[in-house]
Amino acid sequence: MIEVLVLIPVLTAVACYFLNRRHWIELASTLGAGLLMAASVAISYQVFTSGPIQEGIFYLDQLSAYMLMLVAFVDFLVAIYSVGYMGKEYEEKLFGLGRLRAFYSLLQVLVFTMVLVVCSNNLGIMWIAIEGTTLASAFLVGFYNTENSLEATWKYIIICSVGITLALLGTILAYASLVVLVPGESGGALDWTTLVQAAQLKQLDPTILRISFILVLVGYGTKVGLAPMHTWLPDAHSQAPTPISAMLSGVLLNCAMYGILRFHIITSAQIGPGFSGTLLLLFGVLSLAVAATFIILAKDYKRLLAYSSIEHMGIVSLGFGIGGFFGIFGALLQMLNHAVTKSLLFFGSGQVLLKYKTKDMSEVSGMAKVMPVTATLFLAGALAITGCPPFSIFLSEFTILYGGLTTDHLLVSALYLFFLAVIFAAFMYHVGKMVFGTPSQPLPRGEVSRICVSVMIVLVVLTVVLGVFIPTFLNDALTQIVHLFSGGAA
Amino acid sequence: MATIDNNLVNGLAALVLLAAFALVASQRMQTIVRVFALQSLALGLLAACVAYITGYSHIYIVAALTIVLKALLIPRILTYVMQRIQVTKEVEPSVNTPSSLLIAGALAVVAYYVTEPLIMVGTSITKNVLALSLAVLLIGLFVMITRRKAITQVIGLLVMENGLFMAAISITYGMPLIVELGIFFDVLVAVLIMGVFVFRIKGTFETLDTSFLRRLRD
Repeated sequence: MIEVLVLIPVLTAVACYFLNRRHWIELASTLGAGLLMAASVAISYQVFTSGPIQEGIFYLDQLSAYMLMLVAFVDFLVAIYSVGYMGKEYEEKLFGLGRLRAFYSLLQVLVFTMVLVVCSNNLGIMWIAIEGTTLASAFLVGFYNTENSLEATWKYIIICSVGITLALLGTILAYASLVVLVPGESGGALDWTTLVQAAQLKQLDPTILRISFILVLVGYGTKVGLAPMHTWLPDAHSQAPTPISAMLSGVLLNCAMYGILRFHIITSAQIGPGFSGTLLLLFGVLSLAVAATFIILAKDYKRLLAYSSIEHMGIVSLGFGIGGFFGIFGALLQMLNHAVTKSLLFFGSGQVLLKYKTKDMSEVSGMAKVMPVTATLFLAGALAITGCPPFSIFLSEFTILYGGLTTDHLLVSALYLFFLAVIFAAFMYHVGKMVFGTPSQPLPRGEVSRICVSVMIVLVVLTVVLGVFIPTFLNDALTQIVHLFSGGAA
Repeated sequence: MATIDNNLVNGLAALVLLAAFALVASQRMQTIVRVFALQSLALGLLAACVAYITGYSHIYIVAALTIVLKALLIPRILTYVMQRIQVTKEVEPSVNTPSSLLIAGALAVVAYYVTEPLIMVGTSITKNVLALSLAVLLIGLFVMITRRKAITQVIGLLVMENGLFMAAISITYGMPLIVELGIFFDVLVAVLIMGVFVFRIKGTFETLDTSFLRRLRD
């Protein structure tokens, strides 16, 4: 069953590569994404109702099922949005059919690597898949082949590859922490299930495990975009084609975070959540501080959104660091809400880019007059991402705050609130200038693409609905995941 | 008999570290690639030794792959790229060679210091190798930071990966074969993709000096 799931994006990629009519390619990509979505729903349903599934090298527990749903959902939205966005750029002759084909097939290869990240039981294979996401997305980030995108891609590959090398060392040490103490058992020692069982029985070597977690956190943390390893992120996210920006921000960061969480669970089972939790807190607060500073200074709206992704990954890391039921619950919910809202904002920014032909915020104003629907949706997205009620991010950020206050993380909670306030003010200042005022250049009135606008409407509705109430099934699912973390049961 | 084997493993590991130093000292691009090939050869032989001592046959495959890929194929690719874009022969370090060597020496000391608590619990045949691996990894990182050409950055990354492999083989007698194969595949694809982007950087910026990559900033 899981094999089928992993094969879907591969087959879609192959199909996209060999078709030679624009509409056929778009149809194949959308169908493939829809099929993946359906399969993920089916398999996740099974996991949440009857427990984890293990098949060969694959393993799917509640946490991976949740991440799988996120990947499939954002992939589906991005596939539809791309029809509008890349189609428009194709019509403007920014690139030819060959490049369009390459775009759709690489997108599906990227999805394949992400599905593999969340489905694999073997931590070594998970590492391979995470490195694979970098390689698959390298050409997508450098898609436009300009000086800027080339620079962004080079930084992206080099910095992420170095980071991930450290993560591999961490993985090897985690493996060593079991093999060294229990000689002869080397077969399944890289499997997460084996490691976590051994950790619960306190069979791992604590010293090696600590060093291993630090290396993994720094390594995968580079890919998550945690400060101070975030320097590639604003470049790559702003230079990539808009659908890819949404994909990178919305789910790729979450996938890397998932890698850290796997090790967090192992480490906390062996030596308690204190050690790894404190490190997560530290990186979380640092990321918030860095993001707040650069959001104030931002000049380019896609970079603004990229820094906001660093902020939100900081919040997620902070939530897991705080721990306890509410901290973890809030952080999990925040992953979903961020994926939904950030996709919405990147989709909006794509429409702005197609209309104004510039990423410079000082040259964009009067969106409300030029494209009223997009402007409204974009503004709603901006309010949502900065944590205003009634949007969903308010709910998850508030849950994390509640978790922080009830577990006596007073200083952290105070810093958290302070940075959120600063970011809110700065973000609204920038977006306000883009949306209101008189248009900076005489532009024809009207929305750019109907498909894109419809996708955005769906996302706004979703973020409002999730902000007003959490459906029972989501609540149950998240509660089940929280119980995977030690200290989350209390 | 066992001690002779251990000495052989330790000697080869020291050779890998020595190659890392030689890399830091190299003035010419072609030398750097050759030294890297030599380092990978030593690493492959080390893997073969560990395979012989432990009797795990899958490590032989790893050894063979290391030699074929890292000592033969990847240096060929790098040389090809350098000839095609007519790269200048000098290395152009941003830290001069004597200081670089001093820093590399300091990194090796740091590596020994850091791994001390780990060596306590390590397995018998390979205690010192972990420290050597970490030293190689750090020197690779140092090469990436201080050598300006895009190609030297790629080589620095590969040296880091060599250090990592040495650690994997020495502490754990290698990982499951499927994982090793995957990692080899990733390394190869990464080198190919970086090769493509080296071409593009040369074509767009007319230079390989990565200090020109300074346009995107806040």
